[in-house]
Amino acid sequence: MSPNEVLMSVARPLVQLTNVFKTFQAGTVNEVSPMRGINIEIEEGAFVILLGGNGSGKSTLLNAIAGSFPIDEGRIELDGLDVTKWSEHRRASLIGRVFQNPFSGTAPTMSILDNFSLAAKRGKFRGLSWAHSRQLRDELRDRVRDLKMGLEDRVDSAIGSLSGGQRQALTLLMATWLKPRLLLLDEHTAALDPKSADQVIALTDEIIVRESLTTLMVTHSMQQAINLGDRIVMMHKGNVLHDFNATQKNRLRIDDLLIRFENVRRRELLDESASEFLRSRYV
Amino acid sequence: MTLLIGALTLGIILALLALGVYISYRIFDIADITVDGSLTFGAAVASVLLVKHGINPLWATSAGFMAGAVAGTVSGILQTRFQINSLLAGILVMTALYSVNLHVMGRSNIPFLGAVTLSTYCEQAGGYLFSGSETNLWGWTVSSADLTMLLLIFSLGGVIAMALWAFLRTDIGTAMRASGDNPQMVKALGGNVENYRIFGLAVSNGLVGLAGALWAQYQNFADVQMGIGMVVWGLASVIIGEALTGATSVGIAIVGTIIGSILFRQLVAIALSFGLNPNDLKLITAVFVFAALILPKLLNKFTVRKYQRIV
Repeated sequence: MSPNEVLMSVARPLVQLTNVFKTFQAGTVNEVSPMRGINIEIEEGAFVILLGGNGSGKSTLLNAIAGSFPIDEGRIELDGLDVTKWSEHRRASLIGRVFQNPFSGTAPTMSILDNFSLAAKRGKFRGLSWAHSRQLRDELRDRVRDLKMGLEDRVDSAIGSLSGGQRQALTLLMATWLKPRLLLLDEHTAALDPKSADQVIALTDEIIVRESLTTLMVTHSMQQAINLGDRIVMMHKGNVLHDFNATQKNRLRIDDLLIRFENVRRRELLDESASEFLRSRYV
Repeated sequence: MTLLIGALTLGIILALLALGVYISYRIFDIADITVDGSLTFGAAVASVLLVKHGINPLWATSAGFMAGAVAGTVSGILQTRFQINSLLAGILVMTALYSVNLHVMGRSNIPFLGAVTLSTYCEQAGGYLFSGSETNLWGWTVSSADLTMLLLIFSLGGVIAMALWAFLRTDIGTAMRASGDNPQMVKALGGNVENYRIFGLAVSNGLVGLAGALWAQYQNFADVQMGIGMVVWGLASVIIGEALTGATSVGIAIVGTIIGSILFRQLVAIALSFGLNPNDLKLITAVFVFAALILPKLLNKFTVRKYQRIV
């Protein structure tokens, strides 16, 4: 490897999306295009907040990176690998995920320990060795004790019996049990009550900082967007509208974000009324 | 006593079928009708190997397992790779297997006259074990062949139940259980949900095929219709087992399923001996499963109401 190549491989971003397109239900009345030529790069160690209104394509972006569906066009690179054609479960070796729905991240009828035994094998070969081990149990109890949710004595009870906040905290712990190259958080506090949401957010920040994880987090909350992370990407209609780096982000206040959303909304209304007007005139 | 031993033996044989149904119904949450075909398929393959080719009964019985596993694999591939509804996939495979079974058997019924089967083994072994063709068991005179058969089936069932229990506690077994519970999560943790289902259905129907091969040897004939309605029988066993044990863990659920199957067979044997028309058997089984399916909901409603009243 020449010095130049070394430099390039260091400078290469951890996540790179090049000109990604996706249309769902193409050719029907329900056709939606949540990704219209998206280009985005995420550097190693960055904590990126993804903002956007309903249908702006932010969750779709996350799912495209995770591989939940094949993209129509473009290229997705992760950790220097072209993962465009990789299946969802194959990409899991690089990615840890927490979903919006607390029910999505855990297997409800199985015990906490069962769930973590799965997380301990994320992206690895699963063979015929015992899923439970004393080591895993001890480590789990220690880590769960740190959550201060009183779960350390309940590692054998079914996860379905826990509250949404507890499940989301556990899912976060599971997603980061093996250090992921990339952590994807999809509005993971949106379905929680304010108190649990605050707890989970505090835990999120703590884990990301401690493990220095590269993170992409979707949120609806302006407050979270301002308080967390070191970069904000605002999306609109399947594309990146604004991209604030750390310095710009530090100067941002909630009002600034709201104004920008308002602008988008106004422009949209204008577009709609204009097209309405034109349609009534000419169609 | 002979009746009891017979019902017990058949109960344990069908417990293997019930364990197969437990895998598809409880782990993957699907009603897999492939069972109706794969039971006969296992019996058909084993019977042809025994009667026409004179193969060693142990190999023929294993071939019954393999036959069922093939049927399950096909059903699993239809469900995953071709995205066919699990119920429909089961119906398709079951229907196709009916012709396949007729082809394998060559006719609709194969009697095991004079062929060497596990029953023959048990007769010989029973003669040695209990020195004579009849023996005394707690004051009853029973056929030593029947008793040996029971012992054989009992140990086989025990070994298989333990193997299944152990498997479901391994890394891959745990992932398989979770994939029925929450496939989204398993994918996010790097598990290939589709392959788990195909493999799970192969094991499930393999057990059913094994049950078919054993059942045919126990009753000394294979019939192309012997599989009809057997998935409902399996469901009944699983449900009885859950009702009795509570099924709080995999091990308890497995034990419960076996007990459920044995108990159900005993109940049927008793009912038949009291003059129940055998033609009504399937009807009663279906009604029973129906009742078992709706009762928990009714009870739940009732308890919720009671709870609300207290509050």
